[in-house]
Amino acid sequence: MSKKVQAIYLWWHKPVIDRELLQSLPNLKVIANSGVGMDHLDLKLVAGFGVKMANAPRAVSSSTADVGMALLLASARRLVEGYHIAISSGIKDWEANFLGVEVTGATLGIVGMGSIGYKIALRAKAFEMNILYHNRTRRKEQEEQAVGATYCQKLDSLLQQADFVMVVVSLTPQTHKLIGKRELELMKPTATLINISRGAVVDQEALVTALQTGALRAAALDVTDPEPLPRDHALLKLKNVIITPHLGIKTDQATYMITEEAVENMLAALHGLPMPSEVLPS
Amino acid sequence: MWYHKPVITEELLQGLPNLKVVASSGVGIDHLDLNLLFSYGVKVSNTPFVVSTDTADLGMALMLASSRRLVEGYEIAVSPDTQYFPADWLGTEVSGATLGIVGMGTIGYKVAERAKAFEMKILYHNRNRRNEEEESAVGAVYCKKIDDLLRQSDFVLLSVNLTPQTHKLIGKRELELMKPTATLLNISRGLVIDQDALVEGLQNKVIKAAALDVTYPEPLPRDHPLLKLKNVIITPHIGSATKKTRRLMMENMTESIKTGLRGLPVPHEVV
Repeated sequence: MSKKVQAIYLWWHKPVIDRELLQSLPNLKVIANSGVGMDHLDLKLVAGFGVKMANAPRAVSSSTADVGMALLLASARRLVEGYHIAISSGIKDWEANFLGVEVTGATLGIVGMGSIGYKIALRAKAFEMNILYHNRTRRKEQEEQAVGATYCQKLDSLLQQADFVMVVVSLTPQTHKLIGKRELELMKPTATLINISRGAVVDQEALVTALQTGALRAAALDVTDPEPLPRDHALLKLKNVIITPHLGIKTDQATYMITEEAVENMLAALHGLPMPSEVLPS
Repeated sequence: MWYHKPVITEELLQGLPNLKVVASSGVGIDHLDLNLLFSYGVKVSNTPFVVSTDTADLGMALMLASSRRLVEGYEIAVSPDTQYFPADWLGTEVSGATLGIVGMGTIGYKVAERAKAFEMKILYHNRNRRNEEEESAVGAVYCKKIDDLLRQSDFVLLSVNLTPQTHKLIGKRELELMKPTATLLNISRGLVIDQDALVEGLQNKVIKAAALDVTYPEPLPRDHPLLKLKNVIITPHIGSATKKTRRLMMENMTESIKTGLRGLPVPHEVV
C-alpha cells in the first residue's frame, strides 16, 4: 500500500510528516497543504526526500480576512458579552452604560500585509478606518493608495498609534513571539489585539499579563498555541478576550476552493508540470 | 428621554404644565405619541445621523458573527469539555454573498458602503429609489418588490423606521420567500418582525439563522424561545453603544433642550 502513495493532501496538519513517514512512502511525489500556513512542515526535510510541496494561498484570503474583521467588530462592540447579557436568565433590565468602542474612524495597524492583510485593509477602508501597516517589504504606492494605508517601517510606530492591531504574518523563526511584553506595552491601553495568524506569533503569557493589568483593552484570537488551549488557561477566563476555534477558512466555499487548489497542485506535480502554488524551502 | 423612559402619557403631560421640550435619545421615535405631545405644545427632538455609523458597524458585526458562527465557536473554544476543535464544523462566506438591505436610509446606505468592500452583491428595497450615483457608488440594485429581494438574498438586513407600514413587515409569508440558507439581521425595531413567525421559521428551518440587536419587548421574557435557539444571536440594543457616540447623542440632546427652552429653533426637531 505504501508504495502506491504518490500524493498526500494534508488536512489540519494530519498526518504528521516526519522522517519515518517519508521513508515509508518511497513513491511520494507531492504534499499539498489545506491552507496557506506551512509552519507545521519541515520544508527542508520534505524537500530532501525529493517531495514537492504546495499550499493554498488564493482560497484562504477572503475567508480569513472576514474572520479578522468579524473579531475586530465583535471585540470592539463587546458582542459576545452582549449576547450573554441578552440571553441570561438572571437579567431583568439591561444596564444603560454597556459601551463598546468605535470602529468607524479608528486607527487599524496591520502587521503583515500579504494577501490576507491587504484584503483586511480593503474592508477596513470601507469603515473609514485610518490604516497603518508593517511588512517585511513595502507595498507599491498604487496598492497603498488604493486602501489609504501608511507604511510603518518600525513596528513600534504602528503599535503606538493603533486602536486595533491585527496580526496577519506567517509564522517563521523571525515572527515567533513577535508580539511580546515590550510590544504590548507600546500599545495604547485602549487598544485591541486581534490575532488571525498563528498562536506562537504572540507571547501568550505576556498577553495574559497585559490584559490583566490593563495595558491593553482587549484581545480577540482565532489562533492560540496550542489549539485548543488547556482548559485551565488564564486566557479562557478573561472577560475581555474572545477566542474562536481557528475559524479562518471554515466555510463550505473556502474548504471547497482549498481542496480544488490542492488537487490542481497535486495533478501538476504528478505530471511533472509547473505547480500553481509550490512552496520551496527558503 | 433615555431608552424610552419615562413613558409619555396624558397623565404625565397634565402633571407637567411647563414642559417645553422632550429630547429623545437615538433616531427612532416610534415610542412617542407625537400627536399627544404636540397637542400639549411640547417640542420633540431626536438624535439622527450621529448613530448611523455605529449602527451600520453593528449590522456588519452581526452579519459576520452569524455567518461564521462566532458565538458558537467561542463557546467551543472556552468550554471545559472541549478536547479538540471539530474538523467538520463550518460557517458560510460573507465575501461574495448577496446582501438585501430593507430600508436604505442613512444607516442602510452605510451598511451598503461597508458590505461593498466584502465584494458582496447588494440589493435594496426602499420607499423611494436612490439616485443613480448613489446606487453605483455601492453597486446596489433596486428591488421595487420586497419579494424579489427576499428570494435572492443570502443575508436580509432590516434598517427601516418602525411605522404602521413597517409593523410586522417580515412575517410568515416573507420568511417563506427567503432562501432556507438565508440569515435575517435586524437593527431596526423588534416590531418590524413578526416574532412568533420568526421562531417558527427558525425552528422549521425555513431560514437558517437570525441575528437581532432589537426585539419586542427589550429584554425578551426569560423563557422566550428566541433565547434558546442555537442559530440566533441576540444583542441588548447596542447599535449606538460606544462612548463617542453616546457623548455626541448627549450633546445633541442638551442642545435641543437649551434651544427649546429659549424658544429658539430646535436642532433635530421632529415635526
